[in-house]
Formats: sequence, C-alpha cells, structure tokens
Amino acid sequence: MLEMRGICKRYGSVRANHNIDLTVPQGQILGLLGENGSGKTTLMKVLFGMVRAEAGTVSFKGKQLIGHSPRDAIAAGIGMIHQQFMLVDAMTVAENVMLGWARAGSWLRTREMAELIRSASATYRLELEPNAVVDELPFGHRQRVEIVKAILRGADLLILDEPTSNLSPPEVAGLLGVMRRLREEGRSVIFISHKLGEVLDICDEVVVLRDGEVAGSCSVDGATRAQLARMMIGRDIRHAPRLAKLAPGPDLMSVEGVSIRDRSGFERLRDVTFTLREGEILAVAGVNGNGQEELVEVLAGLKIPMHGRITLGGRDITADGVTARLLAGLAYIPVDRVNTSLVPGMSIEDNLGLRDFERSPLCRGPWLDRAAFRKQAMLRIAEFGIHCGGPDVPAQTLSGGNQQKIVVAREISRRPRVLIAFQPTLGLDPGATQFVIDQILALRDAGGAVLYISSELEEVLILGDCIGVIYDGRLSGVVKRDEADMTKIGLLMAGIQEATA
Amino acid sequence: MDTTVLIELLTASVRIATPLLFAALGGVLSENAGTFAVGLEGMMLMGAFGGAVTTFVTKNVAAGLLASAICGAALGVVVAVATARFRADQMVTGLAVNILAFGLTSFLLRGLFGGRAPVIVLSTLRPLAVPFLSRLPVLGEVLFRQPALTYAAFILVIPIHFFLLKTRAGLTLRAVGENPAAAFSVGTDPIRVRMVAIIAGGAFAGLGGAVLSLQEIGTFTDGMTNGRGFIALAAIIVGRWMPFRVMLGCLLFGAASAVALNIQGWGLPVSSYIIQMTPYLIALAVLSGVGRSARMPASIGKPFTRS
Amino acid sequence: MKTFARKPRPVEAIATLDKNAKVDNYRASPGLHAGAWRAVLPPLLAVVLAFAVTSLPITISGKNPLLAYWALLKGALGSVDAIAFALNKSTPYVLAGVGVAICFRSRVINIGSEGQIAIGGVAASWMALSFSYLPSLILIVAALFASAVAGAAWAGIAAIIRLKRGVHEVLGTLMLNFIGTLFVSEVLHGPMGEVGAGFPQSPLFAQAAWLPSLFPGTNLHAGIAVAFIAVVLCHVLLWHTPFGFRLRLLGSSHTAAAYAGVSFARAVLEVMLMAGALAGIAGGIEVLGVHYRLIQGFSQGFGFNAVAIALLAGLNPIAVLPAGLFFGFLEAGALAMQREIGVPSSLVFVIQGLTMVFVLCAMGIGLKQQRV
Repeated sequence: MLEMRGICKRYGSVRANHNIDLTVPQGQILGLLGENGSGKTTLMKVLFGMVRAEAGTVSFKGKQLIGHSPRDAIAAGIGMIHQQFMLVDAMTVAENVMLGWARAGSWLRTREMAELIRSASATYRLELEPNAVVDELPFGHRQRVEIVKAILRGADLLILDEPTSNLSPPEVAGLLGVMRRLREEGRSVIFISHKLGEVLDICDEVVVLRDGEVAGSCSVDGATRAQLARMMIGRDIRHAPRLAKLAPGPDLMSVEGVSIRDRSGFERLRDVTFTLREGEILAVAGVNGNGQEELVEVLAGLKIPMHGRITLGGRDITADGVTARLLAGLAYIPVDRVNTSLVPGMSIEDNLGLRDFERSPLCRGPWLDRAAFRKQAMLRIAEFGIHCGGPDVPAQTLSGGNQQKIVVAREISRRPRVLIAFQPTLGLDPGATQFVIDQILALRDAGGAVLYISSELEEVLILGDCIGVIYDGRLSGVVKRDEADMTKIGLLMAGIQEATA
Repeated sequence: MDTTVLIELLTASVRIATPLLFAALGGVLSENAGTFAVGLEGMMLMGAFGGAVTTFVTKNVAAGLLASAICGAALGVVVAVATARFRADQMVTGLAVNILAFGLTSFLLRGLFGGRAPVIVLSTLRPLAVPFLSRLPVLGEVLFRQPALTYAAFILVIPIHFFLLKTRAGLTLRAVGENPAAAFSVGTDPIRVRMVAIIAGGAFAGLGGAVLSLQEIGTFTDGMTNGRGFIALAAIIVGRWMPFRVMLGCLLFGAASAVALNIQGWGLPVSSYIIQMTPYLIALAVLSGVGRSARMPASIGKPFTRS
Repeated sequence: MKTFARKPRPVEAIATLDKNAKVDNYRASPGLHAGAWRAVLPPLLAVVLAFAVTSLPITISGKNPLLAYWALLKGALGSVDAIAFALNKSTPYVLAGVGVAICFRSRVINIGSEGQIAIGGVAASWMALSFSYLPSLILIVAALFASAVAGAAWAGIAAIIRLKRGVHEVLGTLMLNFIGTLFVSEVLHGPMGEVGAGFPQSPLFAQAAWLPSLFPGTNLHAGIAVAFIAVVLCHVLLWHTPFGFRLRLLGSSHTAAAYAGVSFARAVLEVMLMAGALAGIAGGIEVLGVHYRLIQGFSQGFGFNAVAIALLAGLNPIAVLPAGLFFGFLEAGALAMQREIGVPSSLVFVIQGLTMVFVLCAMGIGLKQQRV
C-alpha cells in the first residue's frame, strides 16, 4: 500500500534522512524504531506532506505523492497522530473533528458530527463526549480525539508518533487494542516508538532507523530485544554498574501534606508527603501530567501551596520565595531549557550567572562585576567540558546537550544541599544523558540530597536510592531500591493501588 | 430625568457607537484570527479620508463608501504582509501604520489638491425612519430613526456572529487564532487566513471612518478619528471577542461619549476638559473591571512559522 | 598572563588556561566590532527604502521628490541655526525614546510618552511660575526634578493598573495620553492660564527659568546635554547593573525571570517609572527651553515617535541618540521643505511610519539580531 524509496532530507548540515526505503503492505502494523534524532519523525513528516524531501519518491495505493501538502495526504487516506497534539484547546471535541473537514459542511452540521463521533467511539471503544471542551480532557482522551479525527476521515494508513509516551499501562493496552481492530479492518499502521517491549508486542514488521539511515529491518517473529536494541544503537548495550553508595545521612528536607489547585480549581497535588535525606536520591516515576510540574514549582518557590509545609535544614521555607530558597541551599533543574532555565539570547557567562547576579562576587555594590562573570564562566566551561565558541556567545548556538551542561554546571557548582531535577535528560543524546546522570550521582556522593523526577522508568530505576510513584497528584509507594517491584510500580503509575487484604 | 433628555442621550449613544462598531467588528475578525488590531485607528482614518475625498470629487456617496472600504483594506494589506508574512511584531506594526495613515491622509489632503487642503463640506447622511417600527414609544426614536450606516453597522453584527460560530470558514478562522499549528495540520494555510482576516477587518474599519466623515461630521480633518480606533479595541476586549458582546461594549462607550457631550449643556460646575476625559476614564474603569477574566485567542500576537 | 580578544576561541585553548589568569581587554556590552555592521545595516536600509517609497506620493502630488529631499536636507543641516533647531527638536525624542527602548526590552509596551511629557511639562511650569524668585540653577534643577517625578507618577498609574487589574499597558498608557493632554488644557483654562491671551497658554516664565543656551548666540539649549547623559546612563544601567540584568531577563522570557527569582511586578514598575521620569524631563525641557511657557498641544505626537525611535535604534540605548537625531533633523527639514517647495510637512510621518514597518519586518524575519 505504501512505498517510500530513497528519501533524503537535510536540515542545514544535518542529514535527517538519507536514502531511506520503507514499504508497508495492507493490513500490517509496522514498527519504526529509533532513538532521538534518528530521523523517524522527519520521515513521517515527509510522508504526510509537512516537509518536502530533497530526493526520493512516495507512492500510496499505487499513486505517486509529489510535493503534496497535509491536505493532499489526508485526502489520499493517510492520517497522522502527532506526538504533540494538533488540537484547539478552547474548542469542543466536535469542533476539533470538524476543523478542515469538508464533510462537516460549509454551514456546520454539528449534530450529525456528534452522531458520527459517538458511533466511532463505540466501535473502537474510544469513549468520547462530543461536546466536551478539549482543555478539560485528560491526556489519554485527547489522543482519542486525534484518532477519531483520522478514522472518520477515512484513513487507510495511520501514523502514530510515540503515542504511548504519556499513557498509563492500561491506556497503552487500550491503544494497542484499537490498533489491532484497525488491522482487522484492513487498514495499516506505522507505529513509531523507542519502547522495544510494545513494538514486539503489537507489530508485524520492524524497521530500525539510526542516524538518518535504515539500520535494519526484520519481522517481529523471532526478533529479540537485544537484537533490536543493537540495531538502534549500533553497539551492545552495557549496563553501567551501580556505584556502591554510603548510608544516607540525616533528614534534610521534608515536605508535609502539600496540596495545590490550579486556576480552574482542579486539585493538582493532593497531600504530598516525603523526606529527602543527605546523600540520597529519591527518584519519582510517573506519567507526565500527574502533578510533577506543580510539585517542582512548589518546591522551587514558584508556586505557593494551599496546604502543607516544607522545611529545609529544620527551617520552615513554605513561604519563602525563589531567592530565599536559593540562599538556603536549594538548586533546581527545570525540564524546559528554552524558556526557563536558560535565556537563549544571552551569552553563556550571563546564563551561568542567572541565579546569582544580585550577589557577590558577581555583583559589587550597584555594579555587575563583568570580570567575575568571565572568570566564573571560564572555570565552568573547563570543569564541565562545555563545547562552545567562547563564554560570550549566545547560549542558543550550543547543542541541547551543551546547553544542559550550562544549567547543570550552574546549579551543581553552587554545592547545593538539595537538588530538584525534573526530567534533566529530556531530548539529550546518550553521551549528554550519561554526563547529567554522573553529575547527579557525584552530588549525591558528596552529601547532597536529590529529588529526581522523570517519566522514563529506566532512569528512575537506575538512579533512585528510594523510588516513588506520582499519580493524579498523589505520591505513593516510596520504597527503598531493593524492595522495588516493577509490576507494582507499573500498576501505581496507572493509579491502581493494591487492595488491602 | 426628563424622558426627552434620556431619549436624546440614547439616540446619540447609538449614533456615536456606529463608527466604533464598524471598526470593532473589523477588529473582531482580525483578532479572532490571531492578530492584534492595533492598526484600527489608522484604518479608520484612511477610510474617513477616502470616503470624504471620493464623495467630494464624485458627488456620489456610494462611491465614497466603496472608496473608504478600499482605503481601509489597503492599510490592512500593509499590516497583513508585515505581520503574517514577515512576522513583524503585531502591536508595534499597528502603531506604525497609525502614524503612516496620519501622515499619508494629511499629506494627500493637500497634495492631491495642489498643495492646499480644499474646503470639503458634505451634507451628512440624514436619519431614515423605518416605516412601522419608528412609531414605537421610546425604542422607535432611539433605534429606528437613525441614518443608514447605523442600521448597516448593527445589522452587520448578525452575519459576523453566524460566520464565526456556525460556519466552517469561521471555525477555521478561530482555530488559526487559537492554534495555527493545528489548523495547518488539517490543511489550512494560517498565514493566508490571517491576511484575509486583517484585510477584511481593514475594510470594515474603513467603513467606520466613512461613518465619521460622511455621516457624523461632513468633512475630513487631520487625525479626525482621535483615538476611536483604540476605543474600539477596548470594546473588543470588553466584549470578549464575540460580536454581540462587542456591540454592547461599543454602545457603552457611545453612551459615555454622549453623556460627556451633553453634560456640557447642563451647566454643571465641571470643566469641559474634565468632561471630555470621561470616555477615556470610563474605558480604563471598564477594562480594569474586566481585567484578567477576559480570555483572548490563544495564539494572538504569536507569528506562525512552518517548522 | 593571558589576554582575551573578542574572537571566539576553540575549546582546547580555554581548557588549558590558568584558572587564576587575569582578564584584560574585556568588553561587556556590545560595542563596535565586525558584528556592528549587521546591526546597523537593516535600519539604514529601512530608512532608504522608506524614502524611496515616499517619493511615490510626492510624485502623485505633482512635485519632484529629489528637489523635495534636497530641501529637506538643506533645511535640516543648512545653517548653524538650522542645526541648533534640529538638535532642540531631537532632545525630547531621545529622552522619551531611550525610556521606551528600555521598556520594550523588558517587553513592556509603553506608548504613553505623550501623556508623561504633558504632565511633566505641567509640573515644570508650575515650579517655574511659583518659584520664580529662586536663583536660576536651583530653579531649573528643581523644575526638572518635579517634571521627572510627575512623569514617573503618570507612568506608574499605568503600571499599577497593569499589575493589579491586568489591563494591558498599551491601552492603559494610551488612555492616559488622552487624559494627560486634556489635563494640560484644563490647567491652562484655569489656574495656569494667561488671562487675555488669544491662545491657551501660560504666562511667560521669568528669565531665571529659561534653559541656558549651550553656545551663546545660538538657540541650542542645554537639553541636548541632558539627553546625552540620559542615553549613557541608560546604557550603563542596562548592561552593568543588576537592575539592567533583571530587565533583560524579563524581556526574554517571563518564566526564566521567575525562575531566577526576579519579581515581575517590581521590574515592570521600575522600568515604567524610569521611562516616565525620562519623558517627564523631556516635557520639562520643552517648556523651559523651547516655549518658555506651558502651551496647549506642546506634547503632541511624541508618544508614537518615541516608539518609532526606540525601534529604529534596535532597542539599544546608545543607538537611540542617532535615531532620535534622525527624527529631529527629519522634522526640522520637513518644515523647511514645506516652506520652500510646498510639500506638506506631514510627509514626515509617512517616512517615519514606513521606516518603522520596514524595520519591524526585518526584525520579524530575523535579519536584525537582538542581543539580549
């Protein structure tokens, strides 16, 4: 049904896709595997017409697709569910489905649409209320809107780009069920993921991309995780040995009964309680959107909780602002590099001084001591191996990994007592990820307390001395590393508490 | 209060609200598609100029109205190309075209007529009584004995409302203003939609200017819009970007101006300049009251780029 | 001892550096270097393009654009008197413009210079009329100080309704422009008006209140020196103080500013007060140095011009000086052009508006990089 040959696409000097061939027959689920930056999303953008390839052909159902736009792709029968949903939050489900769809009529046929949505809901078991406003829907439901949109428009080929990143295990099972149903109907699916387990579970064939090229393809029967992982990374994965760790020290930071509501009154954190000890990492797993963001913001001083108390080193800091917490020894690595922890337009040395520019040694009296800025920057660049063109170039010229090095360098060099790290390895290549993890471990070994929040279960399991799960604003199941049970953690992430006997 | 005075005030409110309403409806289109309509003032001025000069030269009001729409739309083209195509900052571009319009109209008024501004005296549009309805007790006077353009403005609210909320094109327009990437992913060109919305908005604002020069005052003077375009902006915010509520906002500001104008005749011991301040003070007060609860189109102010 | 050039250095060289090395030849703020051409070229091109496009309406009106522009040039630079006149005209533009530039850098869109100038002028006039017995220097300084405070307060009102009620500063400062201008008319018809004059104006100030002229024999008043000092001050504040760092943070991203512990409210208030004070001083200079009285409409048009100048200068305080001078000379020349060739001086606004649009387009597509 789908045949892509020799696809090439460059972004500047980067070869996103090089000579890629891809074939998908009717009624098949194809898995497209690859790490960050391997070219999967670019390839799909080419297929869907969002991006024009420099070379190569695409033919779908026997017809060539050249220079096509998303509209042409949809008309031909290709549907794409993006990683970041293309939904209008302020509008209802029905309005989102009707958007750009000729069948909805020039004069909107809302009632007819609602009927169609309800029947599709029932057929595929994707419960949806047509008149609900998308803004108020949980993540899993929003994905359903996207899927219903594609199905109603008669998609014969559905592209799912990392659809399970933010779903709990039961929701993942539901999605896989939908995919099987689509296959039964004779439609095809391209399933893009970096999660080997799921790919092996649902796909018929697998194509692995690495560095913009096809690294290998095979049928799922008989393939093993190790085989596929080797194709993805190009080398055998060696699990790094866990560093022996010293016994944790005294309690350093305690959080008791913290609750907070968001602007619409929805409770985002419910009675969160935990303790951080010196020389210990508390790693918290959880699907995105369960309150992690609110938790780190409350801890960093950016939001004030409705109830609860936070103490650091015995002192109540609940009412303290960002600067006060900074001075008390709190460091914070946010998830968002572009808008929050860095200012892309500022120089590297200014970014390194972002948190301390009002204090000595960077500030003397009413003046900024520029020489001190420069000196600090040179030190950090050398210590942390930040690959850059000099301390005065804008931070945006650096790669993602080096940008994160700036943030890590800044936060950790202050020798904080407590470090809050929220998905610090997001979007980083393996080398940069390893660097961040090493720095955090080093901080822990030097006696710091770390709260590490991530949606990547693998990272949580590697780093955590204590492991917890956050779901729907509640923190539960905080256990020591040795007592951690994968199944239980997976269930907790989906919100399933163990029933008391 | 005397009923005749009340009726006079209400009638004046409706009439004064007319140019505001045209401009505000134009701004509603532009802002719902994601572009700040700060240039309404300049577009109104262009329309006032185009309408006045064309009517003066051709002695034809219809030609003048057409010209006013075209002049307003022309300035809209400048805003559209700059903000949608070149991703210029929307607010400041609006301010820039306001300056441009002021200079251009003032210049052409003299330049087109051999260096000296002609004396333009136009007979203002007279009120037209709607046959049956104008005999109603209070409402008859206030609502149904108004000049033609006033009827046009208030009637215009209805198709614009239906367009935005009940048609697919209107849905697309609103989507472009909320999440242009989403609209793009279903095959719309957000840049084109924004440009069309801005230009159409400019045409309506131009008509609003024509109301000033052809219906209200009967001539063109430099900068005669005198901030009405910004009051229209305030009305859009007060009306939360929806046509019927915006209409109410315009009526509110129209009433404030009407009261300010009439109060001077009541011999109150308040200086006339303080009174002239009242519409602006009221605007500030109302905006402060509305404050943060106004939810503007999510992507307004953010240029769209294909990544 | 190592020295640092401005050119970027490879990582290896940096890594082997002596950690106690002394840092020489370091320039913190964007100065003149190879990249400066890239910064200056777009505004220059915009100006040239604006002049080119404006020749169209000139031609339509039946005049020769080249003759018109020549008259413009002569009118601006042709004689010592002309230059002095142009410099005087530039002064309030530079003062208001640098305040607006700082505001815009922090993403605070302050278009209220007109109102702030008006209120500043009223304050200075009041001082000049009420304390005319004071020695000249003290009187002038006090009057300018009063105008700064008044302008700051006027801008502060807009800041407060922005912070407390979420009213966007564009609308707030705009409404206050109208109210401020009406306030001037109000006082001129009341306590400060000159009885019997045909035009709303105050009585002429005593000589002690007049701004001294910089070069005896010319009309050039001391205001331009104040403007120059203000520009340098703003530059230093922006790049060498924590206050400036906060503003630059705020201008790039609100979340980054919050993350760094910068109080949004405090920074917005600070920057508006500063801009208001600068505009207020501009108003004071106008009444004390140009008109020698408070006169109706003296503040007209300054608000939007300040915005245009700030933009043309790329929001860079030092560059506001040439940008403001450009506008001042443009307007001075336009008056002469109107006299000589008969091309209406309102053409100046066309050129200004077009220049702004072109600069904005260049910024929009990233031609004009802004250093944060």
